[in-house]
Amino acid sequence: MIVPLALLGLVALPIIVAFYMLRLRRRDVPVGSTFLWQQLIRDVEANAPWQRLRFSWLLLVQLLIALIVVIAATRPFVASQTDLAANVVLIVDTSASMATTTGEEDRMALARERARAVVDRLPQGGRITVVATSDTANVLVSETDDRAAALDAIDGITATQRPGDLTDAFALSSALAARDSDSTIVVVTDAAGDDLPDVGVGAPVVVERVGTTDVNQAVAALSALRRAGGAQLDLFVAVANPSEASATRRLEVYADGELVDARELTIPAGERSEAIISTVPAATAVVEARLAGEDALETDDRAFAIVPAEATTRALLVGPGNTYLENALALLPRLELYAVDADGFEDAMTEAEEAGTPYGLVVFDGVVPAETPELPTLFLDPGTDGPFGTVDGRLSGPAIDRTDPNDPILRFVDLSTVHIGRARDLTLADGLRPVVATPAGAPLVAVGDADGQRTAVIGFALAESDLPLQVAFPLLMSNLVDHLLPAAEGILPSSMRLGEAIGVPVEDGVERVRVAMADPDGGPPGEGVELPVIGGTVTIPGADRVGIRTLSTIPADGGDGTVLGETAINLFSPDESDVAPGDATRIVEMGRVVGGAGPAPQPTRTEWWWPLALAALVLLAVEWLLFHRPTRRSLARAIGRRPQPLGGRAR
Amino acid sequence: MTVSQRAAFFDETFLRRLEQLELASRRLTAGRMKGERRSVRRGQSVEFADYRTYATGDDLRQLDWNAYARLEKLFVKLFVEEEDVTVHILVDASRSMDYGEPNKLDAARRAAAALGYLGLASMDRVSVAFLGDGTATAMRPMRGKRRAAELFSFLAEPRTDRLTGLASAARSYASRMRGTGPLLLISDLMDPGYLDALRDLAGTRCQLSVLHLLAPDEIEPDVPPDARLVDHETGHAVEVSGDDDLVDRYRTRLAEWQGEISAFVARRGGAYVTVASDLDLADLLFDVLRRRRVVE
Repeated sequence: MIVPLALLGLVALPIIVAFYMLRLRRRDVPVGSTFLWQQLIRDVEANAPWQRLRFSWLLLVQLLIALIVVIAATRPFVASQTDLAANVVLIVDTSASMATTTGEEDRMALARERARAVVDRLPQGGRITVVATSDTANVLVSETDDRAAALDAIDGITATQRPGDLTDAFALSSALAARDSDSTIVVVTDAAGDDLPDVGVGAPVVVERVGTTDVNQAVAALSALRRAGGAQLDLFVAVANPSEASATRRLEVYADGELVDARELTIPAGERSEAIISTVPAATAVVEARLAGEDALETDDRAFAIVPAEATTRALLVGPGNTYLENALALLPRLELYAVDADGFEDAMTEAEEAGTPYGLVVFDGVVPAETPELPTLFLDPGTDGPFGTVDGRLSGPAIDRTDPNDPILRFVDLSTVHIGRARDLTLADGLRPVVATPAGAPLVAVGDADGQRTAVIGFALAESDLPLQVAFPLLMSNLVDHLLPAAEGILPSSMRLGEAIGVPVEDGVERVRVAMADPDGGPPGEGVELPVIGGTVTIPGADRVGIRTLSTIPADGGDGTVLGETAINLFSPDESDVAPGDATRIVEMGRVVGGAGPAPQPTRTEWWWPLALAALVLLAVEWLLFHRPTRRSLARAIGRRPQPLGGRAR
Repeated sequence: MTVSQRAAFFDETFLRRLEQLELASRRLTAGRMKGERRSVRRGQSVEFADYRTYATGDDLRQLDWNAYARLEKLFVKLFVEEEDVTVHILVDASRSMDYGEPNKLDAARRAAAALGYLGLASMDRVSVAFLGDGTATAMRPMRGKRRAAELFSFLAEPRTDRLTGLASAARSYASRMRGTGPLLLISDLMDPGYLDALRDLAGTRCQLSVLHLLAPDEIEPDVPPDARLVDHETGHAVEVSGDDDLVDRYRTRLAEWQGEISAFVARRGGAYVTVASDLDLADLLFDVLRRRRVVE
């Protein structure tokens, strides 16, 4: 018992008995005459302050209540040991793989159960912080000793559709654990393919691993390409099977909600099957690939793609002619490529103007015109100064510095094996930024705005580099063209991952925008959220579910806004699709090892005063009933039998 | 209940119904005036009773000359003389009677009024008295329905008696009473001297009928646990502890007590009727008292 002093309350028992032995002050009840009563009562103790103790159920119940209340007040407990420290940070994984549900397994429910068990195991006086984490960490309760609040928070945790990333959660836990050396970090997770952060945590880590099943297939990739002039689209679909048994799934393809293709795909264990589908009508705006039937994870059974707009841009390549460059540009479905030499440039521009089919993009290969057209422009190996900046000479054998992999220009582009013989020594104009540079900072590839036009520059001749021979080349060209010619659909990328946030510039005059998620099943879009435009940019938080997301303006007059862009939200996460529970020791090893034997057991106490309190309440009700037990006469009164006065009926 | 309300105890319909009844007189009584009852005295009446041998001083008009002609002996014809009787109605007016729901004293007043009217309507002499404070307060005996208002008015008088002294009050009345006939005592008998009172009244040659009037909660007590029972009459308190057994014992004792009274009265040729104060007056008169032959 925690409060043995409360046993002093036992003195109440003899006091209660004494009250029963004391002559009570009784309620006066008038009677016509005590003539008969006197003959019944042998009141020999009429004047004594004490009377003989007589058996009374009321006394018995009252003694029992007093006893129970005293015992409950001592806060009795059952002692046990726990492996948890006094300060516990409970991280509950809510990444998409935690939504795994099969007939036998509801992974998130299991996780909540484990998390509740952690709260129950807290040592006496222990504090707990509950963190729900997917790709970001969300602190639900912080360092509380209120177990009910912690349990409430745990009950409210649900799985998200976002990919998992423990970085935030571990950074947070580290900070909390640093404040209290007696800390334990408990991670409730399926450890399914989580890419673990490269951080150490200054506290022991205990992993509650949940989940058993690994049977899941996922749409791993979906891409729609428009062939120039074609009546159908080319759809590229990849279905992954990360489980340990091969599976056959029915793949259905919907064009704007209409089923246009369905086929059985057999995917070997641990591999992926790809299909190119050419039955999607060219007029389609949104394509959905869906795996029919059920598996462990629903989120990755659907994927969406926005079909690029049909319009193509006429591009003019000005230069002596370079096969690699021509091929790379011609392959881009967005471009309709024309080529002239330097002399024919102005005539070509004039003819196109007159024919009503102006060019949208000009590529100058080794040429810098006297007058740069007011169009997006790409310069390769510029010999003289231009809108991109000035040329100060040549660099011989420049090395390529480490590049930023997150730069959209370098998306999928690996320049580590590229060698450059000579390059122009460029000084960039205002508005341009280097994308690839030498270790000394001399720009090799740069993009930006010059004189109000989108401009890019590659500071070396393709012939003086092995870049054209590498896979990186067409990708780099594609990315550069994407930068020069922003997507016709709007300002959003055509596809984004769940949970991925993005900042997009919006045109002047727009103060608020709305981001809404279209119903993937074809219903009207939801209300969405309104976001403010700050400094010409709106930051869109990551989406929570798969589907098509629309960004539109909110006009000041309250009318319908214009759609600024659409993007397809997909999971496309091999880690999350691989729902098989992973190796928990990897996570445990992130924690500090205490004496090589894990965290020391701590004593904990489970109190059981509340059933006693409940019993006391019940007994109190019994006592009330005993005290007010109805007599036959009061019952007769209750049912309304009123006595009639003698002679009353005669009046 | 105000005096004027009490004066008008009954409506006309009820009074007419009452007139169909008559107080039973099982013993023939000797009265002073010619009434509507048979007397034990042989007298001048039309109803022949017996013959008796002539004795000197007998009224010669009573001689049966036909018998003398046949038998040559003088016989006097005896007739049953119809005489009046006195109906005595005694109402216990102690404080213990001023209790109960409905009030016992009020019920007693009504019963006395009804029974008294019965007597007046039969041309009997009616004597009504309240027993209280150790004495009997009686009104002058009266006869005839015209006196009904006077009777009711007397019965409706407020009483302030505190103690009964039932025995001395009964003795006081018995010593002063004149005329015999039915004697009806309406009382709760909650007095230590109740047996003496009954003995005195039974010894008056009147035909005693006891209407033992109790309040409903005296018949079926509703006593809370651990109560202090305060006597309405004496103020004396009795402490009881609430157990079911006590109420059962009370009921048993009440039954025994009623049995004792009944036996006592029966031994003296009287009638004993237990009446609850919530009993309807019509039921009392036309059913209960009729069955017990108190009225007929």
